[in-house]
Amino acid sequence: MDNNLEFLFAGFAVFWAGLFVYLVMLQMRLRELQQEIETLEERLAESEQTEQSGNSTPNSSSS
Amino acid sequence: MSALWQVLVAIFWWVIHTLLEPIWNARWVALPPLTGVMMMAMIVGAVLVAPREIVEGEVQRLMYIHVPVATISYLAFFVTAVASAIFLIGRDMRWDAIARGAATVGIMLTAFALLTGAIWGKPTWGVYWSWDARLTATLVLFLIYSGYLLARAVGGPNDEQAARYAAVVGIIGYIDIPLIHFSVDWWRTLHPQRIIFAPKPALPGEMLLVLLLGFLGILFLTLWLITLRGTTEYLVQRADRVRARLDQLERA
Repeated sequence: MDNNLEFLFAGFAVFWAGLFVYLVMLQMRLRELQQEIETLEERLAESEQTEQSGNSTPNSSSS
Repeated sequence: MSALWQVLVAIFWWVIHTLLEPIWNARWVALPPLTGVMMMAMIVGAVLVAPREIVEGEVQRLMYIHVPVATISYLAFFVTAVASAIFLIGRDMRWDAIARGAATVGIMLTAFALLTGAIWGKPTWGVYWSWDARLTATLVLFLIYSGYLLARAVGGPNDEQAARYAAVVGIIGYIDIPLIHFSVDWWRTLHPQRIIFAPKPALPGEMLLVLLLGFLGILFLTLWLITLRGTTEYLVQRADRVRARLDQLERA
């Protein structure tokens, strides 16, 4: 039987390429999550600002 | 009876906490370098240290990847099954996140086992695939847990009903693993008999040593990826809850 080196190479290549693709996908998922958290922080800041201005309006009118 | 049950549950959690806390605290510092070192050692060992198998030739060196990924995928699915059971008991969504994370890693490892096995099978058996008991049972395992992820993806990250259905699949699916393991004993298969997890391992010392490095490398990789993926799923759940709360606040 010959050495079958091409099959050995193919087997290792499939493993490393697959692992690389998985890690890239995981990285993309984390980046997506990071962007989502940033969006949520902005929305939270906006709603807090709206709430504060809503609270300050009656005070200023009463004074 | 209820008090005894509570004491037993408290003891169980104390043991789990004591055993797992140090490992959990060191996860980001210890697991990536351990994985890298062990994987490099396995590759060097597979290419330079392990002897060439006389009958199968160089392709037999795929064993150092194929056997560890196939075996350690059982561990990933075990984590899914246990986390699913704990979720069903306590309804804590964090366990659902861990179960999902472990299932994705297990599916990836099973895919590697099927692919490297097919590549190894072609020069050895003359075919990439055969409907052999072990190969078929492994493909079924891959499909069961793909179904689990599909069932889980139907609902949102915090959909408790979808999580419950998926957890049941995650537990029942584990029954396939003993079937895979013992298939080579119960049926006449093309796949070789167990030579490593047997009373007397039929491998030379150098081969066993490199295989051990392969097992350690894949084990650390699996633990690292499960914690990474489980944490990601947990953060997705938290982000989803915050989004829902914000939607509620903005509507009010």
